[in-house]
Amino acid sequence: MAGLEDGREWAYRVDPYGFERPDDFDYASYEAFFSRYLVVLTRRAIKWSKLLKGKNSIQKSLKDMNRTFPDNVKFRKTADPCLQHTLYNVLVAYGHHNKAVGYCQGMNFIAGYLILITKNEEESFWLLDALIGRILPDYYSPAMLGLKTDQEVLGELVKMKVPAVAELMERHGVMWTLVVSRWFICLFIDILPVETVLRIWDCLFYEGSKIIFRVALTLIKQHQAFILEATNFPDICDKFKQITKGTFVTECHTFMQKIFTEPGSLSMATIDKLRETCREKVLSQG
Amino acid sequence: MSQAAMSETYDFLFKFLVIGNAGTGKSCLLHQFIEKKFKDDSNHTIGVEFGSKIINVGGKYVKLQIWDTAGQERFRSVTRSYYRGAAGALLVYDITSRETYNALTNWLTDARMLASQNIVIILCGNKKDLDADREVTFLEASRFAQENGKRIRSRKNGLRYSVWRCCLETAEITTKSTSTKCSGMWVLKKQNTTSNIFTLDTEAVRANGV
Repeated sequence: MAGLEDGREWAYRVDPYGFERPDDFDYASYEAFFSRYLVVLTRRAIKWSKLLKGKNSIQKSLKDMNRTFPDNVKFRKTADPCLQHTLYNVLVAYGHHNKAVGYCQGMNFIAGYLILITKNEEESFWLLDALIGRILPDYYSPAMLGLKTDQEVLGELVKMKVPAVAELMERHGVMWTLVVSRWFICLFIDILPVETVLRIWDCLFYEGSKIIFRVALTLIKQHQAFILEATNFPDICDKFKQITKGTFVTECHTFMQKIFTEPGSLSMATIDKLRETCREKVLSQG
Repeated sequence: MSQAAMSETYDFLFKFLVIGNAGTGKSCLLHQFIEKKFKDDSNHTIGVEFGSKIINVGGKYVKLQIWDTAGQERFRSVTRSYYRGAAGALLVYDITSRETYNALTNWLTDARMLASQNIVIILCGNKKDLDADREVTFLEASRFAQENGKRIRSRKNGLRYSVWRCCLETAEITTKSTSTKCSGMWVLKKQNTTSNIFTLDTEAVRANGV
């Protein structure tokens, strides 16, 4: 390769980021690597354009796009560009791509955040797919079995780690689903401040769905005394709203450190085991 | 918050559900009741949201604890667990959507099966301001209500309040049958009054055949 000085070759000597390549750069291996990756990129691009073309029954459930973040200026009908259209495309494409899930309310908020961050329809789609198809258990499928299971799992974890709160819930007959279903379904969107949510998501993408339990347990354990002040059912529900507000959750840096210390050890083995038993329990309840 | 909750006093506490298909305006009705304001667009309700208010019905203070549920079909299996102990339900459909009207039977079955056979139901045809796009006639809904033992109210955009008046009426009906049998009701001691009260300014109309 060395010694060729024409413009085309020079272009290869500078990588896409602007760095000059060293003389001993291994073009052959790089070429081999990149041609494999190009196949992936091309496949994704083709898939994406196909998904956008075919529109189906998902569209019907998406008629009210104006109900995603009505308080966000970029999602207003008058915004230019109006992200409602982007959101619509991502959700229709996803419904096509993952027919078993289709569209479930809650996904609109998640896709909406991804769009706000990536500012890119296609990237948002693939990130949504990573979350729903791989990282999260089946929260959004019609039976919502994963959601119901994880709510129970959280209940069990609270029993282990914050027993007084578990006892309070039991005494007043407050089902976990009442206070935490939105935590799971919306991955803390509209529950915690935006920055905090994004920091949580970073961990979620890296470490998996266990992070949701860490966050939930931290919120509960940190506010244990406050929650225990509750004397009745609506009081408890209200406390669970209150604990997601304030400095503790706004200070996202310290909050993120807390989620790894406050709940104590939380092995994936424990979670897997609890998921298994809770799943059985949920299934037996019909 | 808890301080305020402590000073709240009431004679009765009723659990009320707001149920019906997605996009029929359930959260908007709740917002209307709590804030007395109309809300154009609101985020989809995921799971359940709560609202409560103390009202004066026939000299008794009644606290309505309202459970606003998610309407999407697949959430139904989750929201079904919220019905237990409800004294009443506001069953909402959208007059511009036949689909939401057709779903009423299912919602009604759920409510009667999961809450109580005696649950007080108010059927509410919402979005009357979009009368031009109406798909369900008043007569039709009225007939449905009669067949299913309810009376009907239609909501004018300017008179959203009247829906909640229905609730007050319902609350009154339930108050009357206090001592007998209403599952979602707790009789509580009244200590003192608070300012968070408004009074019913019309004669309460009885719902028949509840």
